[in-house]
Amino acid sequence: MTKTGMIEFRGVNKWFGTLNVLRDITLSVEPREVVVVCGPSGSGKSTLIRCINGLETIRDGDLTVDGQRLGDPATNMTRLRTEIGFVFQSFNLYPHKTALENVTLAPIHVRKIPRAEAEEAGRELLAKVGLADKVNAYPAQLSGGQQQRVAIARCLGMRPKIMLFDEPTSALDPEMISEVLDVMVAVAEEGMTMMVVTHEMGFARKVAQRVVFMDAGAIVESGTPDEFFSNPKTDRSRAFLSKILRH
Amino acid sequence: MIWQQLQSIAGSYPLALRGLGMTVVLSLISLVLGTLLGFGLGILRTGGNRLISGAIGAWVDLIRGTPFLVQIFLIFFILPELGIELDAFTAGIIALTNLAACFICEIVVAGIRSVPTGQVEAALASGLSRWQRMRQVVLPQAMRIVLPPLVGQYVLLIKDSSVVSAIGLTDLTRVGWLVVQRVPNGLLVFFLVGLGYFIVCYPLIMLARRLEQRMGAAHGEVQL
Ligand SMILES: Nc1ncnc2c1ncn2[C@@H]1O[C@H](COP(=O)(O)OP(=O)(O)O)[C@@H](O)[C@H]1O
Ligand SMILES: [Mg+2]
Repeated sequence: MTKTGMIEFRGVNKWFGTLNVLRDITLSVEPREVVVVCGPSGSGKSTLIRCINGLETIRDGDLTVDGQRLGDPATNMTRLRTEIGFVFQSFNLYPHKTALENVTLAPIHVRKIPRAEAEEAGRELLAKVGLADKVNAYPAQLSGGQQQRVAIARCLGMRPKIMLFDEPTSALDPEMISEVLDVMVAVAEEGMTMMVVTHEMGFARKVAQRVVFMDAGAIVESGTPDEFFSNPKTDRSRAFLSKILRH
Repeated sequence: MIWQQLQSIAGSYPLALRGLGMTVVLSLISLVLGTLLGFGLGILRTGGNRLISGAIGAWVDLIRGTPFLVQIFLIFFILPELGIELDAFTAGIIALTNLAACFICEIVVAGIRSVPTGQVEAALASGLSRWQRMRQVVLPQAMRIVLPPLVGQYVLLIKDSSVVSAIGLTDLTRVGWLVVQRVPNGLLVFFLVGLGYFIVCYPLIMLARRLEQRMGAAHGEVQL
């Protein structure tokens, strides 16, 4: 058997009704690797990463995460999810809980860490993402950039092995994008295995080992950020890049 | 003459108090039981199991689609035929609890469905179990939607409890019937009966209104 990556897609297909959203996806992400996924809207990027923590299920092919095959009766999906952080485009913070409560909820209830200890760790994480003074703020009292940083801290609180990001900065005002990207860069530099759906090329060049370009449900091109951005090989990736560069 | 009638009615105040007590006790017990059962049914109804969800939906429709008087007769007169002996009080509690649970189930379902799917996905992604997602994430947010109509439902329940007088329970309404046989002034007697119900319900009506205003304000605030 060949060495398996942290995330391993082999011949994965998925349909929404008659729509073949993922077409024969084969992709391996190594531990500590950062992979950026880009492509036009509707190409299946969100679906791809949502399959990894079981927010979507696949129809055929194999998807193995941290050595556990998804859909296998032996795989405890709830347990596996505790190892995978997911950052949403729309943050999805719990509006009835403070920043600190958002961060400590899963550690207390899922990891069964004593409250005092979880809160201590939560404060540290919020300080790390630059929100030491917002510990007791509710999501509605925070800007988009601050909310997304709380969301990242919420994932880190579970000490995950993998973090997935679904367009984490595309719902943000431009002036808030960099504060979130800076946090993501710091997480990447600590050796987190990451898959990031984003069109932020600066981020990709800085920390990604690989850029994967998707179109119409298939991986069309994959290469280092330098290769991909300076020398795209397909017409579709060239067309896509010229569009996002114009912005 | 009115004065004499009033005096005569005042003479039956122990009976009136008993009737009011019966109304309050019946309502309170079925309100508590109906709330617990209603939340349980609502949570099951929105759970993944189609069979359970469908069965609850059908039951709720059946109860909502038939007169309460008919339900209470069925429970009180038909169940004993099947060998289940019930006293009027128990029958009243069962009928009222069931009615409350069905209406509350619908209120809870609407509340749960109002919580954005992103909230459930976030909870799911962090590894919370089904019950933890419900308890920590979904229900607290659903309560904003649930609370005002829930309290409104309590008011309806107290008023619906008057139907139990039909199976011989001496609640406030039945006390009215008893008194009116002695004091032949139906208008006056039932005005006082109505006043009794109103005094019990009015604080709840005010509470529902306050909650509605508060929840309305909170809703604007938590918008992302
Ligand atoms: N739950 C769903 N049901 C049906 N179709 C869906 C669903 N989610 C996404 N799709 C469709 O699948 C395709 C891929 O969606 P998505 O993965 O969100 O793309 P991307 O993230 O690249 O914009 C789109 O055509 C979208 O309309
Ligand atoms: Mg998307």
